[in-house]
Amino acid sequence: MTHFTRRGLLGAGAAAATLLGMPNIARAAGGRVVIVGGGFGGATAARYLKLFDPSIEVTLVERDATYVTCPFSNYVLGGIRDLNSITHRRDPLRQRWGVRLVRGEARAIDVSRKSLRLADGVALPYDKLVVAPGIELKYEGVPGYSEKAADRVPHAWKAGAQTALLRRQLEAMPDGGVVIVAPPANPFRCPPGPYERVSMIAWYLKNHKPKSKILILDAKDAFSKQGLFQAGWESQYPGLITWLAGKDGGKVEEIDVANMTIKAGFGNEKAAVINLIPPQTAGRIAVDAGLTEANGWAAVDPISFASRKAADVYVIGDASIAGAMPKSGSAANSQAKVVAAHISATLNGKAPPPAVFHNTCYSLVTPDYGISVTGTYRPGPNGVAEVPNSGGVSPAQANADFRKQEALHTEGWYAGIIADALG
Amino acid sequence: MSRISLAGAAFALALAAQFGFAPQAAMAQQAPKPGELTEAAFTAQTCALCHGTPSQTPPTMPLIYGSNADQLYTTLLDLKANRRPSTIMGRIARGFTDDQLKAVADYLARY
Ligand SMILES: Cc1cc2nc3c(=O)[nH]c(=O)nc-3n(C[C@H](O)[C@H](O)[C@H](O)COP(=O)(O)OP(=O)(O)OC[C@H]3O[C@@H](n4cnc5c(N)ncnc54)[C@H](O)[C@@H]3O)c2cc1C
Ligand code: HEC
Repeated sequence: MTHFTRRGLLGAGAAAATLLGMPNIARAAGGRVVIVGGGFGGATAARYLKLFDPSIEVTLVERDATYVTCPFSNYVLGGIRDLNSITHRRDPLRQRWGVRLVRGEARAIDVSRKSLRLADGVALPYDKLVVAPGIELKYEGVPGYSEKAADRVPHAWKAGAQTALLRRQLEAMPDGGVVIVAPPANPFRCPPGPYERVSMIAWYLKNHKPKSKILILDAKDAFSKQGLFQAGWESQYPGLITWLAGKDGGKVEEIDVANMTIKAGFGNEKAAVINLIPPQTAGRIAVDAGLTEANGWAAVDPISFASRKAADVYVIGDASIAGAMPKSGSAANSQAKVVAAHISATLNGKAPPPAVFHNTCYSLVTPDYGISVTGTYRPGPNGVAEVPNSGGVSPAQANADFRKQEALHTEGWYAGIIADALG
Repeated sequence: MSRISLAGAAFALALAAQFGFAPQAAMAQQAPKPGELTEAAFTAQTCALCHGTPSQTPPTMPLIYGSNADQLYTTLLDLKANRRPSTIMGRIARGFTDDQLKAVADYLARY
């Protein structure tokens, strides 16, 4: 891939504009946009800002060298993908789109001076700031759990080393052991995620340790795509999975990590492997900068995702309160496009287009059995709302070919969102 | 569906070879600029999540760029009404009014 110079980029634009029959209008300097976090939210925002207006100076601050996606990390647990295949570099954002990539930890936002401070002391001035830091885990939300305890009882709710650890534990456990998966109460990152995870662990156990069982100890009484998941489990993994709702004693009250025992409403349960998914808040920078409400998430204007707390600051992705939209990669991607349109229009003195949002979450029950939930959303008086009589989940009644097609589209969706955010 | 837009992509690639820049730079010029970001142009950006770009549509996905506007609109209405079977596209099409679908079809046909 050729490395861009500023001149190369502008030259390319001029040539293409002329040849594609568009007016070749000289553009005024665009302004400076700084983005915190290079996940699905931040990376998409960077890419679309450059797409809509290449003259905007876009700086993306990210602490990690690579992006290990949470989407498809459940397939690493199921043994149908490896970590390498879900690990991505952000270089194309620089090489193809001219985004300035800064590796570092954002520490503080000076809203009055419009400047972002990094851990190494560097200050990045901005005209507009996009905050997309994802989530922070609230370990203390489950008595007995801690960041240190996660070395023994993984959450694997941020993909990478935690995913690898949980996979090793599944490989090491004896046939006939019990695996506990304990999802948190709403709201949390990826509502169908824990149940897709259960499906993928079941896939591994069915094929390698068929005497084993999975127990879901849930804080909730209902979950995303519940009917589809439960029907899928019954047909694909009969007798392997037990789900205990919060109201039936499923809510975890305490964990004894040393003895691998969970205390829940119904009593105590010892397990060979425990996957505890703790409650969450917006990423620390959003909390520290005062962008969040008492509930730990950042309130935004549903039309633009502008922060309710600070001028010229936008919060997107998992960290935001997005009304009816779930905390998903698709949602973060879609919110990022709305913000990119809003910022590029505003910086150019134009009216932004009306916001429309999209979400799709695919899940695999088996490698050949996919299910989905999708929705179209628009801003409403009480936040982002789903368009009535649209979207929804896959049909309850469908043949194996239909489920297989959705499994194929699951792969297509992943290729698509990686290209749309990082390509 | 026609693959006419491929000619555009090939053109961009030829440009890239000639001028020594990445084809994406040329593709970027096809994106709506702030003054051209109509509702339909913006809506079309949300389709890119699954359908990709004119030059990069995932192999498992139908190409929606550059086809005949009327045909595209009819297909979307058929998907919306479940006259045309789909796994997910009917659910997505029902998120838009007929007028909105018409505008998106017109926009996508311009590629
Ligand atoms: C098991 C699992 C499966 C999932 N499957 C799906 C799926 O199939 N489909 C789907 O749509 N979603 C899925 N999700 C949800 C999806 O991963 C998240 O919703 C999505 O990643 C949110 O994007 P984001 O940009 O808000 O945050 P993130 O993707 O977490 O990105 C935030 C980035 O910001 C960086 N960062 C944070 N703070 C700082 C700082 N102070 N300084 C510098 N950098 C910082 C982080 O390192 C990170 O790279 C899944 C989640 C899980 C856990
Ligand atoms: C979540 C992924 C996803 C998104 C987002 C999406 N589509 Fe689709 N689309 C599909 C899939 C998958 C199909 C194939 C039919 C099916 O199984 O649903 C399809 C089919 C189509 C077709 C029919 C093509 C043919 O030749 O049969 C059209 C037209 C279409 N989409 C247009 C759009 C438009 C316009 C948008 C944006 C408003 C959009 N799509 C957004 C997944 C998506």
